[in-house]
Amino acid sequence: MTETADMQEPPAKKTGKGHDSSDLEQFSARLDAVRGARAGKEDTGGVRDKAVGAGFRLASELLAAVIVGLALGLGIDAVADSAPFGLLIGLFIGFATGLRNVAVAMKTGNAADNEGESAQTDQS
Amino acid sequence: MNSILSALALPMHLPQAAGPMEQFEIHRLAPLSLGNIDVSFTNSSLWMMIATGAAVIFFSSATRARALIPGRMQSIAEVLYNFVADMVRGAIGPEGMKFFPYVFTLFIYILLANLLGLLPSIPGVSHTFTTTSHIAVTFGLAMLTIAIVIFYGFYKNGLGFLKLFVPSGVPPWLLPLIVLIEFVSFLSRPLSLAIRLFANMLAGHIILKVFAGFIISLLGAGGVVSAIAIFPFLGTVAITLLELLVAFLQAYVFAILTCIYLNDAVNVGHH
Repeated sequence: MTETADMQEPPAKKTGKGHDSSDLEQFSARLDAVRGARAGKEDTGGVRDKAVGAGFRLASELLAAVIVGLALGLGIDAVADSAPFGLLIGLFIGFATGLRNVAVAMKTGNAADNEGESAQTDQS
Repeated sequence: MNSILSALALPMHLPQAAGPMEQFEIHRLAPLSLGNIDVSFTNSSLWMMIATGAAVIFFSSATRARALIPGRMQSIAEVLYNFVADMVRGAIGPEGMKFFPYVFTLFIYILLANLLGLLPSIPGVSHTFTTTSHIAVTFGLAMLTIAIVIFYGFYKNGLGFLKLFVPSGVPPWLLPLIVLIEFVSFLSRPLSLAIRLFANMLAGHIILKVFAGFIISLLGAGGVVSAIAIFPFLGTVAITLLELLVAFLQAYVFAILTCIYLNDAVNVGHH
């Protein structure tokens, strides 16, 4: 978005130079057309890749928290000899933490996306 | 099956013999031991050294000219520098630039390890190994990051670093549970960093291997069925491209999350 905006500016400044500027305008129009077409393609691909990436990220956040909760619970069981209760509570805490991690990850991910979009619209 | 394959002049030790997990096996190249600890030089060590060596050779040759108008190599080096520098400044702020060398090293190392792992093995010459497909490697890198966060956090903020576990605006009766959850969440960070990189690399390489295996199986089936082999072939090409993207993306994700975690140590309670 910002690149195309930059490309449009130079011809406007060089209006004094007869056919040069019209050539430039034509070229910039063609460039915009190609860029626009390509940008559309990249966007659809980007959304899919982003979804896969986000899926992996959220899955690993949830899994890691559950594993840590489980390990803590088992550790407390081993130390305090409280057989199944450490495991149960640990798993519960781990799962709660996993949900919290996923919520935070989704919030920060969305915030980053929105920031990028607003930055783009500000400059155009 | 064998006769068809030999008729096609396909060497039998190609993907047919190798299962999808075989590429992740670790072999001792030079057995060494330190007391009871096995510190053998393995194929994993070799490919780590290749990644490190490639980075050192690339950046020393790229920055040798120190031209005002950069050449191709220098341009790549400058783009990489700016990319990571912007990431560090954006996530931590100007103060974070003291961590730039670490984040840059981490990013380049993971990127090169991922990309080198995508090189095809040449039978009898080289056997490509993806170091980042082992959780021991990725967990080591993640623990290094978290260790830096913990040490720097306590060094800079003293016990104030513990405010990290006490989010503001929580009703007092919920606080014990929230602190516990924040604590477990902090502990889960290195694991989630490690799992994400390792799982992406492992899954990608297994899928590549399985798809490539389909080609051989279908060709081996002979007749009309062999013609279908074009589909897994196209699939393999597409997945290879996807894996190039994943290799870059995972290096980026690891580096940006490192920055985000370092930010907690630098600016406690500022967010």
